[in-house]
Amino acid sequence: MTSPNTFVHDIPRREFLKKSAKGTLLMATAPALISSLSSCSSQLDPGAKTALDPALFNKVIARALAGGGDFADVYVEHRVTRNIMLEESKYKNAVYGVTQGAGVRVISGDKTGYAYTDELTEEKLLRAAEVASAIAKSSKIITPVDVSVKSLPSFVSVNMPLNDVANQKRLDVMLRANEAAMSFSDKIKMTTVSYYDEVRARTIANSEGLLITDELPLLFFIVQCMGEGNGTKHMSRERLSMHSGFEMFDEVSPESIAETAAREAVVMLDAKDCPAGKMDVVMENGWGGVLVHEAVGHPLEADNIAKKIGAFTGKLGKKVASDVFTMVDDGTLPNYRGTTNFDDEGTPMKRNVLIRNGVLENYMTDILSAGQLGLERTGNGRRESFKHMPIPRMTNTFIEAGKDRSEDIIASTKNGIFVKSLSGGSVNSITGMFNFTCREMYLIENGQITVPVKGGTLIGSCMDIISNIDAVGNDLAFGPGICGKGQSAEVTAGQPTVRLRGMTVGGSRA
Amino acid sequence: MDYKSLTEDLVHQCLKKGADAAEVYLQSGRNLNISIRNSVVETIQENASKGVGFRVIADGRMGFAHSNDLSTQSLKATLASAIDFAKILSANEYNGLPSEAGISEVKGLYDPQIAKVSLDCKMEMAKEVEALAVKHRKVTKSAGSRYFERDSEIFLANSNGLIKSYRSASCGYGVSVVAEKGDQKCTGGEFCSRRFIADLEMPENLANKAAKEAYSMLDPRRVRTQKAAVIFDPSVARSILGGVLGALNGQRISQGASFLWKKLDRKFASDLVTLIDDGLRPKGLASAPFDGEGVPTQRRVLVDKGILKGFMYNTIAAKRANTRSTGNASRGGYTRLPGIGAHNFYMEAGSHTPKNIIQQTRRGLLLTGVTGYGINSVSGNFSGGASGFWIENGRITFPVKGLTIAGTALDMLNNIDMVGNDLDLNKSFTAPTFRIREMLIGGE
Repeated sequence: MTSPNTFVHDIPRREFLKKSAKGTLLMATAPALISSLSSCSSQLDPGAKTALDPALFNKVIARALAGGGDFADVYVEHRVTRNIMLEESKYKNAVYGVTQGAGVRVISGDKTGYAYTDELTEEKLLRAAEVASAIAKSSKIITPVDVSVKSLPSFVSVNMPLNDVANQKRLDVMLRANEAAMSFSDKIKMTTVSYYDEVRARTIANSEGLLITDELPLLFFIVQCMGEGNGTKHMSRERLSMHSGFEMFDEVSPESIAETAAREAVVMLDAKDCPAGKMDVVMENGWGGVLVHEAVGHPLEADNIAKKIGAFTGKLGKKVASDVFTMVDDGTLPNYRGTTNFDDEGTPMKRNVLIRNGVLENYMTDILSAGQLGLERTGNGRRESFKHMPIPRMTNTFIEAGKDRSEDIIASTKNGIFVKSLSGGSVNSITGMFNFTCREMYLIENGQITVPVKGGTLIGSCMDIISNIDAVGNDLAFGPGICGKGQSAEVTAGQPTVRLRGMTVGGSRA
Repeated sequence: MDYKSLTEDLVHQCLKKGADAAEVYLQSGRNLNISIRNSVVETIQENASKGVGFRVIADGRMGFAHSNDLSTQSLKATLASAIDFAKILSANEYNGLPSEAGISEVKGLYDPQIAKVSLDCKMEMAKEVEALAVKHRKVTKSAGSRYFERDSEIFLANSNGLIKSYRSASCGYGVSVVAEKGDQKCTGGEFCSRRFIADLEMPENLANKAAKEAYSMLDPRRVRTQKAAVIFDPSVARSILGGVLGALNGQRISQGASFLWKKLDRKFASDLVTLIDDGLRPKGLASAPFDGEGVPTQRRVLVDKGILKGFMYNTIAAKRANTRSTGNASRGGYTRLPGIGAHNFYMEAGSHTPKNIIQQTRRGLLLTGVTGYGINSVSGNFSGGASGFWIENGRITFPVKGLTIAGTALDMLNNIDMVGNDLDLNKSFTAPTFRIREMLIGGE
């Protein structure tokens, strides 16, 4: 069933580079679409290239709205991916992929028709338009605006384009990570290094006259280590990911990722069983922001609000959290994993304050939900690929920095749990009930971090958690993750060190 | 050219381009998704797609490339990419492709009727199940209903002379609802998938289950932290079986990355635990005539009365373990390399009725909701959020929410002391109701 549950896989802890905003202009004004699509691969069918000119978009959109409807758009995508795995000190396999296709959508009132094609020919695009228009039949006929090329500022800079990088360089960073992890301790019995990159070209045209295109690089680097000792095993993980060229590895070394993973794998071998019950929880800065990503972010996505079933329905302008709590979704942070220049509906990225000092200010919308609720488009209409319809999704979501020093937060917590990293969690966005599985956590005893504990879970409801945050640090940091909501999206989550009073912690001893 | 000849031809092209061995996996399919809310069609998506993956071995190195552009030019470029990519990798003595001829006979994988039923009729099914569910007095809102169908055809050829194909289809529908009372909100949902459209459950059944799941959790109470029996409802079987399945992965065993490492032929679970992987079950949602790299599927007893009898292997993992593939190569579509996975995986039924299990429980938790990742297949640790119903003196007393349960896989599996007779093999990953004698339940 369409489960209301959404989840984030392992978001590791990783402090991101503090980079100043760049305002470079993207590829831009050239007769964009076609040239940009073809520029990212020599393997694109030349027939497809010539088929996609602005006149064709006008034709497809006109066909999509021929039977009525309020809005139509066309999303064309071309993606080149490379995935290499090093395990047990061998480069075991590698996958190279090229995927292309286009989706046509028609919105009519609350109805949406969607169809896609993996052949970029006029015939198939018109066929998709017809299928998409079939359910959106309406007496309302609009005249679509002819498309014209638009350009926007870019938040993604590239110095070393991924398609120009020699494979040997990819292998080198993987080997460096493997050596750093394996030499960290003789308790590390196995290391897996997974390298992924992609170049995704997008062109979006719609019945409001928009025609926009860009090309986004993405790097995703994962190190997993298996530690063994004390009669137990622990599999750890650390990830690094940015929309960036290969220069990412000059800014963050593969060794540093490997050492973080290796350290966790060794430390957790000494872990004791986690206690169960209500306790105070301090969460380290960085990736821990996934907690509010799940508990607060998903319920603030406007699709369930428009359906009047979301946990935050009707709470706009109301006090929903403690005064110290400010939460932001910002798709413009330079080169972050959740950043793009515009969302997958062509809406420019911006910084959206969701909750300011405890007061709910904004939901995250896509075109459909913004229209239904009469709200602004916030740039959160995202999709996994041309095979998916856009839906409201987060980008880079974080708790804004506060004033407390992290040392003081820990020292002023008499007894509790210090959570250093979580495996991930999920939330039911209708009820607001969430859960998190802890990966690395410690006891706090008399204001001091003491022994590691394993097998811990955090559960609660979104309303409780944001009311119970009573300390917010000044050390905001971020971590990358994969967010799932029927389709996957690349995101970051961030937070300073925070303290949550009286959380329910699950463990195996009383 | 038809797809069968195309896959064979592409294998030859790979060999000509310098591969020592090659496999071509072509998938074409069609899918339909309809979603309904408040009796109105919210979305319809209908699509057809296809793609091809090349797995090549050159000098003991294995490369892979895929494309969804089946033009001659694109296919040439893609297979060249696979060979080029192979060259950068390490040689691995275990790399190889299967040579097992033939396919297993599995009945009921394709129902031509699905495509013949009209779109209107499918929309009506989804509308009806929603209408029935929201009719319940305590249900306040619909969270939407849905109908889907998938139709997929696979063509696989490799340089050991394998050329196999099969077509399969499935369809399903169901509904989610919300029950509200004051500030409380509870959700419930029920969904049914089948190979044959005529086998789908009646909408009344689905609607009743969805509604009951939502309203029966209203007015929950908390309990204190304590040790007590935990009865796992079939709806939460996955939380235990998932981690066990991960631990039965033959490659993970060779790497020592499994809590079942060095446990072969040893008793590690209660006598009542028998686990079966069945790729042959007629109309099974996870049945197939051959696995993700062409090896015929089987029915295997992996755990027999608590004794570990075997692991799951694909061709490469089997070669490393000096054994034969068990037909467990999984394949997440043409874009993926073969992994290792189960077909229809389940715990064998026991003798008790679920009612009897509850009656014989003095104090405990009937678990109907688990959140979290379940059992960790490497460490065997289990920890999650829990909800369900509290049992006192053999009777369900009130719903409980916001609890936690935790333990280790070996403790949990050894402490299973009652197993129900309510196994539903229409699901592909399932168990009957079973009871764990004692676990730590975290509450207040």
